Order: sequence, then structure tokens, then C-alpha cells
Amino acid sequence: MAAKATQATPATNWSYGASPDGQAHENPEWEKARQALASITKSQGSNKAPPANRTPAEVKCDDPPPVPGLDDQSSNYPPQAQPPAPAIPQPPPSPTNLEKPPLPPSIPPLPNSQYPPAPAQSAYNGPNSMPYQSVDPNHMRVYNHNQGRSNYGQGFHAQNPYQQHQQQQQQQQQGQYGQGLGRGGDVNKNKNNQKPVGQQLWHRMKQSPAAGAVKFNIPKRPYVMTGPNLPPVEQPSGLNLSPGSPAGANTASGAAPMRPQDWPQAMKEYVQRCFTACETEDDKDRTEKVLKEVLQDRLKDGSAYTIDWNREALPELKAKQSRWEAVPSQRTLDSAISRGGRGGGGHRLGHYRNVFSQRSPSSSSSRSSSRSPSPSHSRHRDRSQRHRRSDSGSQSDSSISSDLRPQLSRRQKGGRGRGGDRERGRGGGERGRGRGKANRGRRNADDGNAGVGGKKRKGGNAGLDFHDPMREAKKQSRAQRFHKQLRSEPLVLSINSLDLPNGTQEGLSWEDCPIVGTCQDITKIYLRLTCAPDPATVRPVHVLRKSIQAVKLHWKTHHDYTYACEQMKSIRQDLTVQGVRTEFTVEVYECHARIALEKGDHEEFNQCQTQLKALYKDNPSENLGEFTAYRLLYYIFTKNSGDLTTELVYLTPALREDSCVSHALSLRAAWALGNYNRFFKLYLCAPRMASYLIDKFLDRERKIALRAMLKTFRPDLPVQNVQSALGFTCLDTCLAYLAGLGVTYYPSDPSKIDCKASSAAVAAS
Amino acid sequence: MAHITINQYLQQVYEALDNHEGSFCAELLSFKHPHVANPRLQLPNPEDKCQQVLEPPYDEMVAAHLRCTSAAANHDFIEAYKFQTLVAEQQLLKKGKGQPGDMLEKAAEQLMSCFRVCASDNRAGLDDSKKWGMLFLINQLFKIYFKINKLHLCKPLIRAIDSSTLKDEYSMAQRVTYKYYVGRKAMFDSDFKPAEECLSFSFQHCHRSSQKNKRMILIYLLPVKMLLGHMPTLQLLRKYDLMQFADVTKAVREGNLLLLTEALARHETFFIRCGIFLILEKLKIITYRNLFKTVYQLLRSHQLPLEAFLVCLRMMKVDGLDLDEVQCLLANLIYMGHIKGYISHQHQKLVVSKQNPFPPLSSVS
Repeated sequence: MAAKATQATPATNWSYGASPDGQAHENPEWEKARQALASITKSQGSNKAPPANRTPAEVKCDDPPPVPGLDDQSSNYPPQAQPPAPAIPQPPPSPTNLEKPPLPPSIPPLPNSQYPPAPAQSAYNGPNSMPYQSVDPNHMRVYNHNQGRSNYGQGFHAQNPYQQHQQQQQQQQQGQYGQGLGRGGDVNKNKNNQKPVGQQLWHRMKQSPAAGAVKFNIPKRPYVMTGPNLPPVEQPSGLNLSPGSPAGANTASGAAPMRPQDWPQAMKEYVQRCFTACETEDDKDRTEKVLKEVLQDRLKDGSAYTIDWNREALPELKAKQSRWEAVPSQRTLDSAISRGGRGGGGHRLGHYRNVFSQRSPSSSSSRSSSRSPSPSHSRHRDRSQRHRRSDSGSQSDSSISSDLRPQLSRRQKGGRGRGGDRERGRGGGERGRGRGKANRGRRNADDGNAGVGGKKRKGGNAGLDFHDPMREAKKQSRAQRFHKQLRSEPLVLSINSLDLPNGTQEGLSWEDCPIVGTCQDITKIYLRLTCAPDPATVRPVHVLRKSIQAVKLHWKTHHDYTYACEQMKSIRQDLTVQGVRTEFTVEVYECHARIALEKGDHEEFNQCQTQLKALYKDNPSENLGEFTAYRLLYYIFTKNSGDLTTELVYLTPALREDSCVSHALSLRAAWALGNYNRFFKLYLCAPRMASYLIDKFLDRERKIALRAMLKTFRPDLPVQNVQSALGFTCLDTCLAYLAGLGVTYYPSDPSKIDCKASSAAVAAS
Repeated sequence: MAHITINQYLQQVYEALDNHEGSFCAELLSFKHPHVANPRLQLPNPEDKCQQVLEPPYDEMVAAHLRCTSAAANHDFIEAYKFQTLVAEQQLLKKGKGQPGDMLEKAAEQLMSCFRVCASDNRAGLDDSKKWGMLFLINQLFKIYFKINKLHLCKPLIRAIDSSTLKDEYSMAQRVTYKYYVGRKAMFDSDFKPAEECLSFSFQHCHRSSQKNKRMILIYLLPVKMLLGHMPTLQLLRKYDLMQFADVTKAVREGNLLLLTEALARHETFFIRCGIFLILEKLKIITYRNLFKTVYQLLRSHQLPLEAFLVCLRMMKVDGLDLDEVQCLLANLIYMGHIKGYISHQHQKLVVSKQNPFPPLSSVS
């Protein structure tokens, strides 16, 4: 995945070729950060995963959110509706995610014990120390942008048209925003200048060891923790908790504190909580990704220091990745709606809450609501949260934070600088919606609404049309959950053509497109076909007739089974390829079956008799009875009582009369009842080649019979008796057989078996 | 419901999905529901309408369903809402109407892929984990596997359920079905004890109104029980219209080999179709045992001449019998533990234990 990500990022932007690790080491600052982190993490060393786990994590964390639908959404949105992008740089959040703040005491049972208290510090002290330290805020913005971009690229390789389209849109929008919004210029500048750096940063982040470590450190928990339910931890509120960060964060756009240790403790805890709530590695990946983005924004705009992290809702963890992303789109709307009255400020935070608050209000049904939240419900929730939020948070903060969600969706399309990013995200959401609909040709009314809604939202009373957006969002969330694109074309049931893909392979049976061979060779080496047959190498039937005669002759004279089998298989193949299913085919299969039988090659025999069963339906043969009998015997050999029963169902009375079949049936009855006496009698008078088949399980049955006899007879049993009962035609073979099983005889009379002594030996063998 | 318009119908589906009314939604997609007969819903091309109201993948599902109604296909869609992939299955089954044989396997494939989805759903919470759908899918798969005689494919499914923590919490209906199939499989594998447990569970927990199902369970439970020495009462057989077993039961109980052979021959088709002929055939062994027990009781001796058995077997018209074969039959019974004793070849006598020479069937095997 990492590789993929790398590819996805425009190569031209990759100005720093150095390996991420190398970069990391060059960062002296980082060393400090690590130490600081180490001190934090020491407290919970038990959570650390062994460094070995890092690699997968690192790789995973770059995975682009495969959210197709969202991209489209980010462009049509009316720019004015967006609050100005906060250009305030913040320390990059991602590293923070990765560190382990002390576990909030409130978190219920952490199955930490399962996890080996791996070298706690190694994650941080290791070679891959994280490079964030040096990054300046601009980089961060760029980082966002680039990440989004690359993600987009990754996720939608197949959709170039979209991409282009979106990029255009992005540019447009940026232009728009750039003018109207105070910081737009900044944003644009960032976008233009910082890309390379950002990318590099991003790559470094990708490599960050802590990410991996943390991700794997988090104990899995069965249930999602919803933020609000968590009792506050040590810190009463999230206001400026962390040392030294806020000032820089809130003021200068250039010199934000990037050090992880500067992050608010509450935030660290929040991160911890988020990861703790993850159940699976995938969840963690997703959480990580989301957190990375969210927190980054938080830190950048300073809201990280003002938010009450303890009360933040956790991101929705149960959802598949798509669900995260799905939600944002929906939330985007909400926030857009809410923004109306309030200006950019209030809802950033509110929005952010929404991001994660899908589950937050406590509801046990939260999870399901995310699946298809009833519009009114979730909207209501959003509203109330927004209120709460905006009350508590500072305006700017909240406004900033509201950005987080869209960011996710935007990212896919490739965000630019922050401001542009945000605006575009929202606008994109709208556009996507509209477009999706248009594409789908669905719900024209909705389209109208969406368009109107967009405008309204701008004006602030977009709440009227919330319904449709919700639906759309739900649709998208669902689509994402199932990793499906929203349908881009009107639904056409493919019922009638459903099997085509398969059909072309299977349905295109040999009969449908027969080829006629031209090969004149009598013999041919058997090669398993791996591609369409070439008529030049396929023998037509008249040649095959000669072939089989040749094979038969060869078999009679040489008894070279390897050769015969190969030749027969190649004949069979030629027949199959040409779709020949005639009496000749039957003859070939019968011939091969017999040869296989004679040599005891039951796999090959089974192939032939299975084919014969099908062939007989169209080509009645005089040997039907014979091979039916073989099949019955074969089922006895495989002890397949199910098939045996089925076979019995299809036995016609006429067929039962067949000497072979009736023999097989009586043999089966004797076998089923353990009547070995009769079984071996029947064996001795087996018709045709049945005895070859019975040979396959003769020993098995003999052993069982012998055990029964040895257990039954006391004190002795004449060998003579055993010989006749077990169907040995001569005494010597019987004696040899018994000797092989360790049967002992009475010393006084070697013709009598010592049953008691032998019984143990035979049972053991 | 019977005459709602397409729009009403779609609205209902939408609301059901929205409100998580799974069972109602399933009904709306079920072919057992009266709406199927509604001519207004039988559209050959329902795609557009569905698309307007529902989201993917549901629009496709419902559209497929509606087209199926018009094509008068038949499939039970209970819990379909959980498995969007069932669309494909539905489509398959619809096609499959024409050529059932192959299609069963394809349907099994589809179900299997659904099953994999469900089984690998580790993320969702317990409440709405897709794992709840596993048993349903497994039961459907069993149904197919039994039909196409691929019992070996059941094994991994059984293992999956055995290892599932939910196995005792699925709905009773599903569990009854599951146990029914597992019992049948165990029976075919000659694991009669587990088979008896499963089938008994199934029979006891099967809903009392499901007489047909109970009968189906009995068809397999009876042979197993009989093999383990529990004979059904005539009353039971009558209640469930299984009088085919009556003579079999009687013959086994009395050790009347002749009657058993007759009874089996008479209902051979029925037994074979049920797949229990071979199982019932094993009752012959029990019958031999009961017959020989009678001989023992008549002779009141612990040393029983083999001739006596030969005579009684001839009376039962067992053809082509000789002393060797009698020895063989006895050897088998002794080997299987039905008779405690030994044969003295020298004296041509069966010597049975003085205590409990014919242990009760339930204690054997």
C-alpha cells in the first residue's frame, strides 16, 4: 500500500528524495519529542506493541480511504457558505495520535493484559523517529492537501475523468474562495508553494514508527466507546491544557508548536480512547487515518487546545472505513446547513463533533443509525451538538474544527491549502451529490433540491432540504460500506445477462464452438490445455479411431500403463475439445476405464466412470450395466453411502437384472451387513473386471472380517476356515496374509490359529 | 397489501430499511408474501422506479425481486436485507428455474460468498453483526448440498458454527433446521449417537405447528433411534403418517427377518428417496440379534448349537445359507458387542455369557 501511495503522489512534487527514515534522523528536534513522548508513554508501557508490528501499520496508514462518492461531493458547494479557512498553523496531530497518553481511568476493561508488554519505548526511540518536529504549519496544510490528493489518485485510478473534473472544480473554487475569504490567499499560496514539502512530510508521516506502534498497541475492544459516555479524565476541560502550545497555535500561522509532547494531554487521551475502541486492525487503520487528519486540523487551527477532548465523541469505529467517510459527506451538509445562521464560526466545532458524533449522543442505536440514519434524527442531533459546542468553544476554534469532516472527503479529491480545501470539500459535496443524481438519472426532484439547498445553505436556511442530502449521504455511506461506487448509470438489471461472465467460460462449452482438428498424428503427448486449443494439434475422430486401436495394441503387447494412460488422456482431450460425444467417445472412456481398472488407477478410473455416467444418457451402451456395477463398487470403495443411495434411486428394475449390477448389489448388501462370508464368495465370482475394483478394498474388508472372527472363535480357528471365509483361493496366500498381520498359531497344531493371541496382534495392526 | 401500487410498495421498502425493520423488509422481499401476487408490482422493468426511491444496493435488489415476481420465480428472502449479495443469488435462482441442476451449485457458490462475508464480519457489534446471518445461509447451503449430494462440503460449515460463540443464540427455528441437517449428516456418516442427539433436539424443539417438518425430522430420527434400540410406538407413526415404518418396527422388535425384508422391499422407493434405505438395512443386524436372542430364550442354554440358528434363519427364508454364514453372522454380532460369548468351532456351538448375553441395544455401540 505504501508503494501505491507513493506512486499516487505526483512524482514531480517529490523534491526530497531522501528516505523517510533518513529524514527522521536528521531531525534533531524530533529527538526531544521522542523523549518527551517516552516519558508519557512509559506510564503505560504495557500498551506498546512490539516494534515488529510497525511495518504493517506503517503501510496501512497510508491507505487511501476508498470513498468514491465523496469526491464528487466536494465541488459544487457554494463557496460563500464556507467559513474562511483558518490559516493558523497547528502542530501536526498525527504524531500525537500515535503516542499513548495515559489511559483515561474511566475506560472500561482494557484487555491490555493480552498484549505483551512490548518494549514500550522502542516505538519512539527506534530508528524511525518521527519527522514532524521540523515541519512548519504550511507544510502541514500542504500535507493535507497532498495526502488527499494522493489518496484520491489511489482510490480512483479508474476514474480519471472524475479526477480531472474535480481538479478543475477545485481550481475554480479556489479562485472563488481566494478572493472572498481573508485567508484564501494564504491558502493558495500554500498550495502552490508548499506542495512538495507537504508531500515529503506526508511520506515521512507514513513511515512514522509511532503510528504503527500505536496502532498495534491498542487493545482491541469489543465495543465502541462513545465519547460522551466517557467520564472526563484528569483534565476537566480541554482548554489550553498542553504546555506551551496555544499561543503559537492561535497566533502565528508560521510557528506552531509541532511537538507531540506539546499536545494537550486531553487530546492524547482522546486519541488513546479512539484507538482503544478499535476492534480490529482495520479499525485502527481507519481510526488512525481519521485521527491524523482531524487532529492535524485541530492542532493547526488551535482548537485542539480548546476542545474538551474528554467529551469528544469517538470516531465511529464500528463502521467500515467507508462509513467514516460516508458520514462526513452527510455531515458536511449539516454543517453547511447550520452555518447559515451563524457564520463560519460556530459550526466548525459543531461540525467536527458531527464527524464523530454519529454515535455520540449515547444511543445504543447509534451504530445502526449510521447505517441509514433517519434524517430528522441525525439532524437534530447535529443541531443540538452544535449548540452545545458553540457555547463552550470559542468561535474561531469551533469554526475551524468544523472543517475536519469535510477534510476527509475532500482529501480524496486532493485538497489544496486549507481554506480552499474546506471550501472545496463542501462545494464538492454538493456538486457530487448533484452530479451523482444526474448521472443516475434519479430523483430529479432531489436534484432540484440539492441545487436549491446549496444556495439556501449559503443563505443559512438550508435546513429545509435536509432530507435529500441525508438520503444522498446515506446512499453514499452505504455504497462505501460495500466498497461500491454509487451507480453512475441508471440501474439496469442484468438478470438476463448475469451469467455472461461465467457463461463465457462455462457456457461456452465445447459443444458450442466446436473445432475440428487437423492433426494426423496417431499418437500425441498429453498436455493439459491452458489456452484455446489449436486445431492443428487436435486430431479428428477418424484419426482418433486409429489412435485408440494403436493404444489398445500397445497396451496388450507392452502393458505400459504410463504410455497408455497418457495416450488415452490425449485422445479424451481431443474428443472433449471437439465436442465429440458419441459412441466412440463412450468406447474411449470405457477402454480407458478398463485399463485404469486393471492397473488399479482408481483416480483415472473415477474420471472415466463419471464421464461415462453422463455419456450413457445420450449414448446407451451395452456396457451400461457393467459400468453401473463398477460405480456401485466404487462407492463401496469410497464408503460413499450418500452417492450409493442416490445410485440406488436411479437403478431401474431392468438394470437391476443385469448380471453385473445384481452382483454388485448383493455384494453391497453383504458388505453393508458385514456378511464377510458372502462378500468374499461374491468376490470370487465377480463378473468382468469387478474383481479389480473389489481388490481396492479387499484388504480393508478382510481385516475387519478377520478381527471379527478372531474375536468370536475360541479357543482356536482352523486356518482352512479362515481361508474359505476370506476368499483366499489358495492356502499359501492366506498364510502369507495372516503372517503379515502377525497371526499366531498353536504350536501343537500349526493349522489352528490361536485366536486370543492373534486378536490383539490383528487389532493393533 | 395485495393491491398497493408500486410506489407504495417501494415506499414501504424504503421505510422498512430506514427503520431497520428487517423482518418486515424481508417480508416485502419474500416470495411467500401476498404482494407477489399483486399484478401492479409485476413489472418487467422495475429498475427506474426502484432507483428513484431506494439506494443502492437495495434498488437493485428490489428491482430484481420485482422482476422475479413478474417472472414468477420463487425464493425465500428472509433476512435478505442483511445480505445485499443475495441479489445475485436471486438472479441466479431466477435463471435457475430453467435448469435446476447446475444452478443449484451456482446458487451454492453465491450463498457461500455471502456466507464468507457474514463469517468475516468481525467488526460490527453483536447486535447487528452479519454473523447472525450465518446460520441462515448455512441452512440454505445444507439444503443445496444435501440435494446435490455433496455432504463433504458441510463439514467446514459445521465447524464454523461449532466454533461460533453465537451458536446457541440463533433463533430456534434456525437451530432446529441446522440440527436437522447436522443430524442427517451424522447419520450418513454412521455416527448414530450424535445423529440421535441432533435429530432429537430438532424434533423436540421444532414448532408444534410444523407437522411437516416434524415428520421430516422423524424420517431420519426413527431409523437412528431404532438402531440404538428405541422402537417407535404405533401411535407416533400414525400421528405423523409414517406407517411405512410400522412393519419395519414390528419386524425388528420381533426379530422377524422375513417381515423386515418384506417391509423394506415394499417401501423401498420411499426409503430410498428419503435416503434411509441403507440405514434401515442395518436394522437387519438388530433383527438378527433379536432373532438369536429368541433362540437363546427358547433353548434356555448357554451353549447353543449353530444348527439351531441355521434352522431359524432358514425359517426366515434367508437364502443360500450355510453354517459358515451363520458363524459369520454370529461373529459380527459378537464383534459388535450385541452378543457376549464365543463360538467353539470344534463343537460348532455358540457359547454365550451367563450374565446378560444379549446386552440392551442402547448400551451397545
